[in-house]
Amino acid sequence: MDSLEIVFSGFLISALRSATPLLLALLGECLGQRTGIINLGTEGQMLIGAMAGYGATAAFGNPWLGLAAGAGAGLSLASVHATLAIGARANQFASGLAVWMLGSGLSAYFGAAFVGRKIASFDSVDAGAVATWPIVGSLVSGVTPTVLIALLLVPVIGIWMYRTRTGLRWRAVGESPDSARAAGVSPAWVQVQAVLAGGLLSGLGGAALSVDYTRTWAEGMSAGRGLVAVGLVIVARWNPWWTLPAALLFGGAEALSLRLQAANTPISAHLLHTLPYVVSLVVLTLTYVRARASGAPAGLTAVMDR
Amino acid sequence: MKFRNPQKESTVKLHHLLASAAATLALTFGAATAQTIGYIYVGPEKDYGYNTSHDLGRQFVEKNVAGTRTLHVENIPETAEVERVMERMIKSGASIVFATSYGYLDYAIALGKKYPKVSFMHAGGLKLGDNVGTYWANSDDAIYLAGMAAGSVTKSGKLGFIAAFPIPQVVRSINAFTLGAQAVNPNATTTVVWTGGWLDPAKEAEASNSLIDAGVDVIGEQVDSPITIAQTAEKRGIHVIGKDVDVSKFAPKAVLTGASWNWGPAMVKVVNEIKGGKWKPSHIRGDLKDGTVVLDPFGPAVTEPVRKTILAKKDDILKDKFEVWSGPLVAQDGKELLAAGKPMSMEMLESMDFFVKGVVGSVK
Repeated sequence: MDSLEIVFSGFLISALRSATPLLLALLGECLGQRTGIINLGTEGQMLIGAMAGYGATAAFGNPWLGLAAGAGAGLSLASVHATLAIGARANQFASGLAVWMLGSGLSAYFGAAFVGRKIASFDSVDAGAVATWPIVGSLVSGVTPTVLIALLLVPVIGIWMYRTRTGLRWRAVGESPDSARAAGVSPAWVQVQAVLAGGLLSGLGGAALSVDYTRTWAEGMSAGRGLVAVGLVIVARWNPWWTLPAALLFGGAEALSLRLQAANTPISAHLLHTLPYVVSLVVLTLTYVRARASGAPAGLTAVMDR
Repeated sequence: MKFRNPQKESTVKLHHLLASAAATLALTFGAATAQTIGYIYVGPEKDYGYNTSHDLGRQFVEKNVAGTRTLHVENIPETAEVERVMERMIKSGASIVFATSYGYLDYAIALGKKYPKVSFMHAGGLKLGDNVGTYWANSDDAIYLAGMAAGSVTKSGKLGFIAAFPIPQVVRSINAFTLGAQAVNPNATTTVVWTGGWLDPAKEAEASNSLIDAGVDVIGEQVDSPITIAQTAEKRGIHVIGKDVDVSKFAPKAVLTGASWNWGPAMVKVVNEIKGGKWKPSHIRGDLKDGTVVLDPFGPAVTEPVRKTILAKKDDILKDKFEVWSGPLVAQDGKELLAAGKPMSMEMLESMDFFVKGVVGSVK
């Protein structure tokens, strides 16, 4: 096999696998920011989701239960942010940081018992004869349930946000809480729902990371993906539809940095590791230059400028 | 010796605080009746890697030195926090302290001056105090032998190595692994993938998949916890070489063998010397010969003739008939590094920043 073939055979599925936990967290963070709430705790929510998901899978032997437990744990932790940032009107950044630290500490503390445990997880989809086809074969046979869930959630949330009345209300809260209030919508209640939904999705993302993708629990295993999600919302321009390309861009760059090494390209590994961030920066710059506006909800801009 | 990602270690995480709170409780209420020995770990005691290997040593000491009680505290970053934890250990009766992470050295030396009656043992340091000694062990021989297993089992002749950062300790492992494989399979190559972090399971899984997709069928590794790579290898039906602790129970079919630490006997020896008043601080250095480094049991994929060849080579190493780091040695680009029969200098060994011929990848 020549080296280019090595890089690109299986690259697409590799990018998808890398992107899945990030995509779930990104969708969740997108919902929150769309209603005007930034949650830096996404990293902690991913960790607690990864730990709880792994623990539940180890205890009950069922990866679906694990995903549910991870989502539940993420939601519970996000309720702390909802209480502090919306209920008590605390500074969103401080509250988010607190949630991040809390998730990191709690997951390390309770996760110690699960280090090294073996779990039964999902099988890959049985592709039959398709598995031998070039590119498509590796794509189909490498797909796992969490990849499909994440891919499916993009249009579901996209359509919900732009084509339903509740979606309109959520967007209204993000653009102008006062107008929303005048129209009889409670901004705080919508924001609480959005933060909790974000917690659920980032917890699910964490569980996808531990239960499905790596089948490992290790302390601090999200390795900054939750924070990347907070930033990538900007690249996705607060639009659920754009979360997929944004997450794929990042996941793809990460997969590429490892695949290029496996294929022996003469580029420094240190440079390759900056690839995901360089790509994100370039896209960010390009979108700002082209659109001359960030596309951020006005309510969110108010938080930033305050 | 472990060099940690400074970013990872400098953040004071909540669980560090929890750990120190727990340590305070444990140390305040512990009664000092027997000889007490304290152990401090930089990471989780159950990482099934470096820290687990030290905790196994602690358990061995507790079992094999009569009248000994041990204290241990995990997740202590390489900051002034170490000093506080050691001081609390001493106040609750510890007369020997094992500081098991590289960055603890200066704190151990500082405390050594303050508590002259306490003995300190540091992992891998190059400095001594009046009551501070160091211990370490060289894994290169065992990794060379594991490389022979990899070279014998591979069908494609393509081996892989996943590691965090290009530091001399890791570069040595990669070279020893490759030289071992080439001893039985002259055309074997090792493709290196750096993950850029001591702990990032997602990247470790993806690095394994990338190598496997590129035709690699045996992977060696040197990251914090070998579990993700071993389990990915098991799932994809290829083979893996362990490091630090025997991981065969996580991947019974995939593991060929590995290079593990066995700190227990060396720790018992030094503890007994200290108890008997015969100890003088020194740099204790172990290896395969004295048993501080162990070649893990062979997995089912290693056939009987291959086991015999490897064990014969191990015998040569034990009897000083064979030296891994001796010429002829050729660099990645074909230049001669060492002429035939010439041994490698200590400096060249300890600052190794080159790959040998057959390694695919970059040290830079």
